[in-house]
Amino acid sequence: MKAVATGFLGLLKAVRRDHMLLAACSAPVLAGVAFRFGVPALEAALTRWLGTGAVLAPWYGLFDLMLCMLTPVMFCFAAAMVVLEEVDSHVAAALLVTPLGRRGYLTSRLLLPTVFGMAATLVLYPLFRLLALPVWLGLLLAAGGAAQGLIIAMLVVSFSTNKLEGMAIAKLSSLLLLGAFAPYVLQQNKVQYLLVGLPSFALAKALQGQNPLWGVVSLALCAVWCAGLAKHFAAKIVY
Amino acid sequence: MICVQHLSFGYTPKQTLIEDMNFSVAQGEIFGFLGPSGAGKTTLQKILVGLLPHYGGSVQLAGQQCGRHNANFYEKIGIDFEFSTLYEKLTAAENLRFFASLYRKTSRSAGELLAAVGLQNDANKRVSDYSKGMKARLNFARALLHDPDVLFLDEPTNGLDPTNSSVMKQLILAEKAAGKTIILTTHNMQDAAELCDRVAFIVNGSIRALGTPHELVMSRGAAQVSYTYLANGAECAGSCPITALSGDELLQTLLRQNRLLSIHSSEPTLNDIFIDVTGRTLL
Repeated sequence: MKAVATGFLGLLKAVRRDHMLLAACSAPVLAGVAFRFGVPALEAALTRWLGTGAVLAPWYGLFDLMLCMLTPVMFCFAAAMVVLEEVDSHVAAALLVTPLGRRGYLTSRLLLPTVFGMAATLVLYPLFRLLALPVWLGLLLAAGGAAQGLIIAMLVVSFSTNKLEGMAIAKLSSLLLLGAFAPYVLQQNKVQYLLVGLPSFALAKALQGQNPLWGVVSLALCAVWCAGLAKHFAAKIVY
Repeated sequence: MICVQHLSFGYTPKQTLIEDMNFSVAQGEIFGFLGPSGAGKTTLQKILVGLLPHYGGSVQLAGQQCGRHNANFYEKIGIDFEFSTLYEKLTAAENLRFFASLYRKTSRSAGELLAAVGLQNDANKRVSDYSKGMKARLNFARALLHDPDVLFLDEPTNGLDPTNSSVMKQLILAEKAAGKTIILTTHNMQDAAELCDRVAFIVNGSIRALGTPHELVMSRGAAQVSYTYLANGAECAGSCPITALSGDELLQTLLRQNRLLSIHSSEPTLNDIFIDVTGRTLL
């Protein structure tokens, strides 16, 4: 336990030393402020200008969902970049043969950032939300967002060999989040179900229909993605 | 301290990287793994340090099966990797402080360890500014931080100048004197001969020869005596085993007639054993 706590503290210090990662971790706050105060103001201006009832308001759920996904994704992205640096400098190999061990390393580098990402979402979401959603749905969005953060972290570590490649893979991986747009953009069009393999799509369906079953589907999809990536990830961290 | 019985291992069910390997290492012994690249030394080390738990046979270290070890396992072993395993952005002192904080027991002072490896004046320098040799010495100090009972050293003198190489060997011998069990993996036959109580030559996943360096050297046969002499105005050479000197009529004649130009004996070395056992020269 002490080793895991120390390992996680080491991760936080590594993030603090890297200005890019620090900025990434503070991005959700900036996005939250922009969503909470910028979007309603823009909506008011647009409706006045266009003379219509609502322009952005039907999309408020999507803004809330993006905020819920952004926080853990950024936390997990930062953790993944630290892991990449540790793999590249062989520090990961050394950490695996300390009391931290493989399980402790995975806990401190993947599980805890995911949990903290979810916790941060639960703090930020009530502050910056645009819709008043039921508590269970808020929790579901936070959990679903955190699970997608985990997938992105695993993708980044599994398919990159250094931080530069990690940045590129992170950008590509963020396409996974685009599934959230489908139910809002395509609405009743059945074409949207082509994206059913993306957990973000199921999460958006859960939010749109306030349907917990879609939430379960989203979490199950995340589990499948993680299981599929586990072998690649493990191969990367063992020296 | 280490007991390996009928060890077999492959990354896939059809593959056999290590086959029916048996050896044991006593407490306080320096045991060398020698062999060509790809022989299975690193795989064997990964098994011994518990990173590859799915093996056949029995591998015990300090009374624990390496594949099913408890949380205390890594308090007992220290590993000095061949490559640098340090945070480049941190100073030497910060690196040692961080790694020390992962262990429950920290019985060695980072300052003393840095002094022992000659880095006391560079303690606050970033590791990225270190030379390869300095990183190797800091790596070694990191492995000793928690005063482990078993030390795994992978090419510990690699990249060191002769002076620091000698210092490193003295430090290794000091650890042995303190009762530590040391597993040394190296391509450097001179280091192995100087440091190891016993060595195992590993080729294609099996031990081809095991014994003390002296036993192995002697098993290759006696030293040769080579000599040169003048015959018909030209320099000629001859040789015979040291155990058959009295039977070499030519040498006896040359000695009686004081016609020898030079004479010297050449003992086999671990390098010769390496070539005999592996069929390869050292790269």
